[in-house]
Formats: sequence, C-alpha cells, structure tokens
Amino acid sequence: MSGGPLIVQSDKTLLLEIDHPDAQACRMAIAPFAELERSPEHVHTYRLTPLGLWNARAAGHDAEGVVDTLIKYSRYPVPHALLVDVAETMDRYGRLQLANDPAHGLVLRALDRVVLVEVAKSKKLAGMLGAKLDDDTIQVHPSERGRLKQALLKLGWPAEDLAGYVDGEAHPIELAEAGKDGGKPWTLRSYQREAVEAFWAGGSGVVVLPCGAGKTLVGAAAMAEAKATTLILVTNTVAGRQWKRELIARTSLTEDEIGEYSGERKEIRPVTIATYQVLTSRKKGAFTHLDLFGARDWGLVVYDEVHLLPAPIFRFTADLQARRRLGLTATLVREDGREGDVFSLIGPKRYDAPWKDIEQQGWIAPAECTEVRVTLTDAERMAYATAEAEERYRMAATARTKLPVVRALVERHPDEQVLVIGGYIDQLHQLGEYLDAPIVQGSTTNKERERLFDAFRSGEVKTLVISKVGNFSIDLPEAAVAIQVSGTFGSRQEEAQRLGRVLRPKADGRQAHFYTVVSRDTIDTEYAAHRQRFLAEQGYAYTIVDADDVLGPKLPSVD
Amino acid sequence: MTTSFADHLRTLPDESLAALLQLRPDLVVPVPADVSALAIRAQSRVSVARALDGLDQFTLQILDAARLTRDPEGGGTATEAILALATSGPHPPAPAAVRGAVNRLRALFLLYGPEHDLHVVGGVDEVSPYLAGLGRPAAELDPRAAAVCTDPAKLRRTLLAAPPSARAILDRLAAGPPVGTVPPGALEAPATGEEDVLPPDLVNGGAATGSPIRWLVEHRLLVRMSAVKGGGSVELPREVGLLLRRDTGPLGPMRTTPPEVSSPPREAKSVDSAGAGQTMEVVRHTEALLEALAAEPAPVLRSGGVGVRDLRRLARNLGLDDPTTALLFEVAYAAGLAGELDLTGSVTTRYGGDQQILPTGGYEVWRAASLAQRWEQLARAWLMMTRQVGLVGQRDDRDRPISVLSAEAERAGAPAARRSVLAELADLPPGTAPTPEEVLELLDWRAPRRARGREAAHREVLAEAAQLGVTGLGALTSYGRLLLAELSDADERAADPLGLHSEAESGEPSTAVRALDALLPAPVDHFLVQADLTVVVPGPPDPALAGELDVVAEHESAGGASVYRVTTASVRRALDAGYSADDLHALFRRRSRTPVPQGLTYLVDDVARKHGGLRVGSAGGYVRSDDEALLTEVQADRRLEALAFRRLAPTVLITPYQVNRMLTALRDAGYAPVAEDAGGAAVLARPKTRRAPARVHAAGRTLDPLAAPRLPMPRLLGVVEQIRRGDAAARAARRAPDVVRGTARKGPGPAHTHSDALAVLQQAVRDKALVWVGYVDAHGATGSRLVRPVSMGAGYLRAEDERTEMLHTFALHRITAAVLED
Repeated sequence: MSGGPLIVQSDKTLLLEIDHPDAQACRMAIAPFAELERSPEHVHTYRLTPLGLWNARAAGHDAEGVVDTLIKYSRYPVPHALLVDVAETMDRYGRLQLANDPAHGLVLRALDRVVLVEVAKSKKLAGMLGAKLDDDTIQVHPSERGRLKQALLKLGWPAEDLAGYVDGEAHPIELAEAGKDGGKPWTLRSYQREAVEAFWAGGSGVVVLPCGAGKTLVGAAAMAEAKATTLILVTNTVAGRQWKRELIARTSLTEDEIGEYSGERKEIRPVTIATYQVLTSRKKGAFTHLDLFGARDWGLVVYDEVHLLPAPIFRFTADLQARRRLGLTATLVREDGREGDVFSLIGPKRYDAPWKDIEQQGWIAPAECTEVRVTLTDAERMAYATAEAEERYRMAATARTKLPVVRALVERHPDEQVLVIGGYIDQLHQLGEYLDAPIVQGSTTNKERERLFDAFRSGEVKTLVISKVGNFSIDLPEAAVAIQVSGTFGSRQEEAQRLGRVLRPKADGRQAHFYTVVSRDTIDTEYAAHRQRFLAEQGYAYTIVDADDVLGPKLPSVD
Repeated sequence: MTTSFADHLRTLPDESLAALLQLRPDLVVPVPADVSALAIRAQSRVSVARALDGLDQFTLQILDAARLTRDPEGGGTATEAILALATSGPHPPAPAAVRGAVNRLRALFLLYGPEHDLHVVGGVDEVSPYLAGLGRPAAELDPRAAAVCTDPAKLRRTLLAAPPSARAILDRLAAGPPVGTVPPGALEAPATGEEDVLPPDLVNGGAATGSPIRWLVEHRLLVRMSAVKGGGSVELPREVGLLLRRDTGPLGPMRTTPPEVSSPPREAKSVDSAGAGQTMEVVRHTEALLEALAAEPAPVLRSGGVGVRDLRRLARNLGLDDPTTALLFEVAYAAGLAGELDLTGSVTTRYGGDQQILPTGGYEVWRAASLAQRWEQLARAWLMMTRQVGLVGQRDDRDRPISVLSAEAERAGAPAARRSVLAELADLPPGTAPTPEEVLELLDWRAPRRARGREAAHREVLAEAAQLGVTGLGALTSYGRLLLAELSDADERAADPLGLHSEAESGEPSTAVRALDALLPAPVDHFLVQADLTVVVPGPPDPALAGELDVVAEHESAGGASVYRVTTASVRRALDAGYSADDLHALFRRRSRTPVPQGLTYLVDDVARKHGGLRVGSAGGYVRSDDEALLTEVQADRRLEALAFRRLAPTVLITPYQVNRMLTALRDAGYAPVAEDAGGAAVLARPKTRRAPARVHAAGRTLDPLAAPRLPMPRLLGVVEQIRRGDAAARAARRAPDVVRGTARKGPGPAHTHSDALAVLQQAVRDKALVWVGYVDAHGATGSRLVRPVSMGAGYLRAEDERTEMLHTFALHRITAAVLED
C-alpha cells in the first residue's frame, strides 16, 4: 500500500491531505481533471465531474493518465468501478467534433456514427442542426454554436470544438511593466501569469482568484495577449472606472482608447467597458443596447464578476461562441445554482487558486474572521418571537443591540480604516448617526460615491458605512477592518466579497479583520453559518465571541 | 458393433477399465451389472455427449477426422489415416499433437480398437450429426447433386462462376453448420416482368433468376432438404464443402493450443489494488443495502421475489444502478445475510405478500468480521449460488418481468459457468487482462460444446466478477486466485470422503482472506477536524469510532475515507443520545489529530446550552392553587401519599393518577377541590341521573292519524298518470302475441321463426315501428318485451322500451320471435 496523500471516495470526491510531503506534487497532478471544491486547513476536497474530465481531455490528458495519477497518489486501493467510470466518461468526449468545413462552414462531424445518429434524433437539438451533408457530417448554423455545445454537454456527448476563434479587429495592447508616466516597474505575479497562460491555451474560460488578488491584471494581460479590440463587462459604473484607471496605469492604452458604455455615457472605443445593467435595461420589453456586441469585431470579451452574470447576458453570450471569452470571479458559487451555465457558455474553469495559498504568498492580507454574537434584550426577543416568519430575519439582523457592539469594535481599531457593511438602509442610517460616519448607498450619486471613496482612501474619513453597493468591485486598499451587521440572508458569495474588501495587502503586512455581528438564538445565526460556509471551506476559521467580551474590558491581545 | 465394443472392453486389463471409469465417472452411476451393460452405457447418447462436452476444439476436430476417414463399409479407420487428413490443410498441426488427441479419444473410448483399426463409438454419430461441420455426401442427398460432384473440375468451375452473394452463402455454410434455412419465396422464380424489382444484390450477374439460393439450388451446389411454404432448409453436400475449405484444410482452421491473449498485461499490483478497492465498495454497499432493508423490509411478491419498486428504492438508497443492486441483493441473500420473515397475522400489503425480506441473524456475525472475511463470505456465496442475476429485469417466456430473488432467475448451471470462466482467467499468467471477447474465444476453444449458446451468461460472469472485486482491471486478482484454489481444494477434499488427506477445518482465516487483508487499509481510530466543521477519518474507521461519529455527525461521503459534518442537528442528536457537552468535547479532543477549531467547541456549547430548555412529560392530572402554602400542605399530607404528587412549579402539583381518583382522595382528606376541564373552566360535580332516549310527545303530532291525508292536486295528477301507465303496461303484457310468448307450437319450425324474426326486426328498424320481441335470457328463461328497435348490427339488437324508457340490447341469437305490434 502506498502511503500517498490522496484518498479516493466512492462519490468521486478526492480528499487531499495537505500535510503530506507529496501533497504539492499530487495537487499539480490532479488539478487538470479534478475540481477543487473545498480547501479548509487540513484536507482539501476535489471532485471528479464529467465536465472536469472532459476539460482534461480537451487539454490533452487521456484516461490512462488520469487513472494512473489516481492510483499513483492514492493511499488506499481505488475501486475498479470508479476507474472504469472515469475511463468511460472520458471516452465520450470528442466522438463529435465541431469543425469548419471549407465548403459548408460550421459542421458537426462524427468519429462515431452511432453517436451522431443518437444525437441528431434528440429533441433538445431541434432547430440547431442543418442539412445532413453525409453520414458523418451535419451542418450547423453558426449562431447555434454555443447552444449546440451546451445541449450536447447535457446529452453527455461533448463536442470537441475545432472551429477556433475569430481574431477580431487587431489593436495593439502591451503591458506597461516598465512603469508608465514615471510609475514604478512591476511584473505580473506568478499565479497571474499562470492564469493568463491557462486561459490563452484553452481559448475561453473562467479564472477564479480571491478578492484583492489582482484579477484586473489578469484581464489586462489577456488583452495584451489578444492584441485586439476588447469588450469588458462589469457590474457597475464605479467598477468600470476602476478598470479604466487600472488599464491606463498598467497597459499601453491611453484614455482615448478606452470607452465607457454606461447609463451616463455611450462611448464605443477599441476597448469598451460596459455595465451589465445598461446591457440588460429594456425599453418596451426589448433589450435596446444589444447592438454593442456587434458594434465592433471584438477579439476578446471579458466578464468581470462572472458569478453575477445576469440571465439575459447568458443568452447573448451563447451567440458569441466564436470570440474569446474570459470570465473573472472570486467566488464561483451562485445561489441560483447556474455555475454549470457559466462553464458551458463562457468556458470551463481554467485557473483556480485556493485563497490561503495566495495569502501565504503574501499577495492578499491575512485576515482574522470573528463572529460576534449579540444577545438580544428581552424586549427584542419577545418582539422576535411573535414576529411573522418573513419579518424575522430583518428583526434579528437590525436589532438595536448591535449598535453599541459595532461601536466597540470600531473603537478597538482606532488606527484603522473601518468599513461597516449592512443590508438594511434604516439600520445603516442608525449606524451612520450613531458612529457619526458618512453612508454610501444605492441612491448615492456616482459623483458623491467617488468623493467619499477618495476621502476614505486618503484617510480623511476613517469609518464608512456602506450598503450592498459595496459588495463588489470597489477598490479600497486601505480598509483593514470590515464589520458586517446584516446581509442578504444566507448568501455565501456576498460574505466572501465583503471579506474581499479588506484583503488588499497592506503596506506593512498588517492583518485584516472581518467581524460579523449576529443576533444569538435567532435565524440570523443560522444564516451566518451558511454564509460562512464558502470561506470556511477556503480555510478561514471563524472565531466566535460573545458581545459581552467585546463590550467589556479589552481582551488581552492575541498577537 | 455393440458386441464388438463390449468384447473389446472385456479384453481390457482391470487398470485400463478403471482408468476409463475415472475419466467418465458417469458410467458407474449406478454401477453397471456387467461389461455388456457398461458397453451399452458407454455408447449411449447421454454418456457420449457428456464425454464430448469436456473436449477441446482440437480434440473434437480430430474425432471428426476419425469419422471422416472411416471405411464406409466396415467403419474402421487408422491413426495414419487420421493423421493424413488432419495434416492435409495448408497449416497442418504437429503430428504429435494429433497423436496426442487420438490417444485422448482412445482413453475416453470414444475411439477404440488397435491403431490400425480404430472404430468410433456408436453414440457419437447420434450426438453430432454433422461431421466437422460438413454436410452429408452428395450421394446420400440427391443423385443429381452427386452427378455434379463426380466431376471435380466442373464443380470447381461452377463454384468460380457463383455470383458474390451466392459465394457468401456458400462460405458461411462451409464453415459449418452446413444447413441453412431458406426464407419463404427465395426459391421461387421471379414473376416475369418483375426481374428488375428485385434488389440488386439478389440478382445474379444480370441473369434474373431470383435469389442467390435459387441459383445455388439450381446449380446443384445446395440440396433442398425440406420445403415449407416456399421456404424450408438447404444442405451443403460434403464434397462442395471440402472443396470450399481447401484454404483452411478439410477440418477447418485447426489450433492445437488455446488462442493467445493479445491484450496488454496489467501490473499485478494495480490489478490487486483496483480489486481491493472494489471489495471495499462491495462490502460497504452490501452493508448499506442490508441496513436499508432493516429500516424498511422488502415485501415478497406472491409470485416470489422482490418487486421492481422495492429494488429501485434500494438502488436509490445506495446510489447504485438497478442491476448492481440486484446483484448485491442476490449475493447477500445467497450468503445468508438476508432472509424472509413470515408476517404475523394476515397483513396484506399492496402487493399482497405475507413475507418480508430482512437482514438475518447471520448479518450481525458478518458485520463483526473483518473486511476481508466479509468479502470472502460474499464472494463464496456468489461463486456457489445457482442464480443468474443478469436475467433480473428481463422478461420471461410469458413476457413478465423477472424480479430479484424470483424462481425465474434460478439456473443450476450458473456456478459451473462462473468456475469455467474464472478458471480460464486463472490459467493465464497473473496480470493478464483479456477482453471479454478473448475470454469467450478461450472458452469456445476449451469446450466448444459447452460454451456455445452461453456467451451472454459468460459475459455476465465477467461483469459480476469485476463488480465484486474478484477481478481488477480485467485480470484475476491474487486473492481471487487463492479463493479459487481453495474452492478446488475443497472439492478435492469432498471427493475424499474418508478424510485421509484433509486437515481439520481450522478457525484460521483462509489464505485468500490473508492476502486481501494485506491489501486493505488498516482501521483508523482518529480523525481530522476542520474549521468548516467537517470531520475526516483518513481510512476505514474502526467500529467504535464509526459508532461514535454516527451519533455526533452527519455522514457526507464514504469510500477510502469517511467525511462527516458536525451540524446543530447532529450535536442535538448526540445530546439526545445521552452525551453531555463535556463528553463531546472530550470525544473530539481524544480522537482528533488536529486542534479542535474554536467554532466547533462553540457550537457544542451553544447547542448544549439550549438543549433541554423545554421539558415534555405526561401526567394523569394536576392540582393547582394560588395558595402555595395550601399546595405544600397537600403534598405533605400523608393520607395523599398514594397519589405520588410532584411539585412542577410553586403553584402546580401533578400526579400520574386520573382526576376522579384524585378528587375522591382529596375530598376524603377534607380538602375542597374543584375539577377543571381542558380549557380551565370549572366542571360541576352534580351527580348525573340516568334517562332513556327522548321520545316524541303525542300532543306534538299535528295530524289526526285517522283523518285522510290531504293531497295537493299536482301530486294527485301524478298518481293518476302513474296508474294509467301501469294499466297500459299490463295490457301490453297481456297482449303479447302467442308466437312471441313461445306458447304457440303451431306454424313453421324454430329456424324459420328466427329468420322471420330478423326480417321483421329489420323492417321495424326502418319503420321505427313497435315490435314484440320474444327472447331467451341468460338463464334460459323465455320472456317478451314490446320495444321500438333502434338499430341492429354486430349480432345485437338495440331497442327502446317505451314503458320503462330504457334502451335494451338483445343478442340476436337469443331472439326467438318478433311480431309487429298491430
């Protein structure tokens, strides 16, 4: 029996023991075909999925190799049935090929005629296939390429896409690693380089990196690789401007080459940054801004925060299969369970790095997560106990008892920039008054937002109260403490994104603090447990303390 | 011939006879009376078939050679002649091999006599009518065909002239068997003008003579044996067959050794590893299956077996597909781990079964054994069970689905099939992983007569062996090999009834178990706890640890390791099961190899804090009072000790006894209690007086019973109409003509009446007239009815009865008469 680091489970999960000497080698070996599911401190969990195995096939790994790797690193005998299943699953890939036929354009070609017959009969493909050219070839409407691939995937016969990508309109883009306009020289970090390489080799796909790990640079490097006109889709205008700033600073692009396509401005330039919101806005039920996708011959489409991709964009994306697509995210967990659609339409996961690894390399700040449990007053408990079910979370999350606790937490970190994040506007106003801090919320104008953020960055404002608008894509490098008072029920990615606000590495390597204030014995606690799951699976261990300890005399310091 | 065979046997020395009996043990059951009887039996169809069944392909071919070279008159042949024939092909086998085969046949007495005058035992011809897959000589079949065959050159020319489609048929028949069925119409000449209609591959080189078979029959290359409706069967004459076989030799392709396995060999280590992994799965799944059965037993169908619905349920439970679940179920049953339990009383389920399948007592013993021992028990049961599980889910002759454990899947030959397949694998060097096709080829060479027609069963054996971990990566595992060897040893011991060579059965685990044990991971008694509240046991947990974790955590994933998750619910469950918070902390500290995360400690404390915050119990009654002193007095009162009061709160006492008893006791003791109902209202304790049920007061009746009832006019009119209608009906009944009532015996015979009646009815349907219909009802009674026919057809008359306003249907053959109403 080999004492390998890997344990293969019969539900096709792989457990990797981190403390084992071979763990690193094993991780490199299984990464191409197994998906990292959880990475807590001792044992990481990977999963073998058909999608993952097919992606491995697409990347040139064969079933024999996968089986050998499993056997080589496995600590215990691997069940025969599982090996057979792996081989059979991988064998299904590539029996069908999507290829460019010189005479007929896009065609679906079969290496196994029976499969083609089976697939052609399927109702799910109705309308996607054109004329039958011969026994092994069927014409495909180019516009159906994405949907056909998606449908074939669902049928379990993934097609190998040999049709390639259009290059798009060429446009020179270089990374300005030497420093621009007197800036300091810099280089891409190793994991960013690896991510770009993995993406470029695969053609299309999703890169998963923790918040604050420099996803924008991955995007910029991908653009420098493509050297073509690029469409960047972001969540909101502020994020779009951050992209613009970053691109101007880090690439050869100038301000004139970058256009903003938002509610305020409608510019189409070689590099255009558009918000999801403007693309999905409708007039009389029709999407009015879809022309943007066809406005130029885009060579690359970048989806920022791809986990938030709204459903209509999915549909448009299906039509963009001939263009290179890059999805960027920190948390590919969607509460609507549509991760699969992201993979099949944007592309498979090309790169994924555990948060704790990046932290160890020093690219994101180490963070201490603390859950503070507040005991409700008797009056509040009574009100909670008699509240309607749908009101309960709001009552528990916005309990006034939280206010002094938040203040105590803010006072604990007198020298730090503190963000107080909440989901309920009333509560935020209370907090704002109580802490005497400005509030950024949905109704705050973009101008006012920028002003407050700048003030915060410069240290003029020490404490900022922000609503859900602060969940994403706000670059506030100086924030070192985040206090969460309420949120969107049990949303895991929201929790991760909020933690991400404080993960930008600090100049002096200080630790970041993330507090979540929770009402004890209420539904708030249950949601909190669910919210923490993603981070806990990434290895962030929450310490739970009682509010009394926070309010009482200062605890002996831990460091 | 029998006499000569018997004579021959009689001349043999005792040792030779004994050797024969050893090779063909069926000859001595029962022991024959004398040598003649032995000779008859040795030539009998059954015994010869049995001897032939065990022969490999090459030996059978040599036997065919012996039969082919027989002198047509005397029936004798010689080794030299056999040798000459066998080596006449382009790839002749080594003469030594041929001689060896001849010797084997002589040892079995399928051939007997001296080398120069060998005879074939009579039964052989009965058992296999076609020699070496060749047809009978043309002379025996058809004189015209014989005429063609006498001229070899001409025969050859005819063959060469055969169109490709006809040649394909010939080649197939030449490979044997030489008889083919002919589809109806294939021998008919195409109708004139339809020549072109035939598909091109049936037309021969432009000569529109019909199908290729017709061409062959017409050219006397095939002889038509029987004709059934234009079809029938055809036979290839021996001479033609031999000519066609000139590339392979007269006996077909010959192979003195089993076919080679060309699949790449596997590393013995990975084979064992894959197999061992599978054994863990099998044991785990079987345990899960039996646990599922324990939780919800499967009812036995009236027709035997377990229904498909229950099988699906178990499969879902296990996360396996139906066939695998069926296999595990059958194996567990065969291993004695599951059994039927008669339901007490006449409980009828939806299926109407009176028995359920549950884990047996043996399951407890099995569960306590080591993993390898548990697997061995399953594997042995599988090898020995007379069940063909692959049949489950298929349909039987009557097109009913075959269910698990039902009698339809019983196959006596199943163990032999498993043993023969695994023996082939065991004969190969370790690590050889033949494909199923290669195994089937091997089996086909080893004992063609046995293998033929069992390909599906043999494939199943291979699939099942892989599923049970007997094989891994397609090759036999080392422990599987040992298990087979042990079984053959056991067989040999069984053949040694006096136990001369057997060691006493020891309690020691068998070699197979020991070999498997070495491959399986050792049980683990610790786990790793992580911040996301998962608990990972990095290996098979030892039973004590598994028991503890089952209580305190939810099982999430199984396999080489086990993953559990601690949740609020699971901690609560542990507290309910009697663990205290401290016990849980101690458990995690003791078992965990890693520091226990703070979150887990907090969770346990938090749940424990709330645990038991509400208390639930039952009581027969309570005493409450705002006067606490009074309650203290009641509780302290020795006269009320029998009521066993318990103070629940300062103002409440409870007792397990009923309210009435408590009331009496309290009153006797001089207290003044008042009873309360469920809503808290006082219950008055006035004694109840008994009363009979209420009756109606006579004065309450409003009507004088003697006065005539007063009826309103509409009701009276209704009554009148009813009476009139009844009157008309009565008249109509009386008016039924005699013919119809069946009383009149005059007039023409019944047949005539019946046909008349139909004519009358048809007319009546057209005229919509009223008709008297006389008929015989289902009980043979005659009756008559006045109806208005509506329609007639399909043997039935539909008619309206105006009296009852109903639509009647009469079977026409029951109608005896019909007369128009005048």
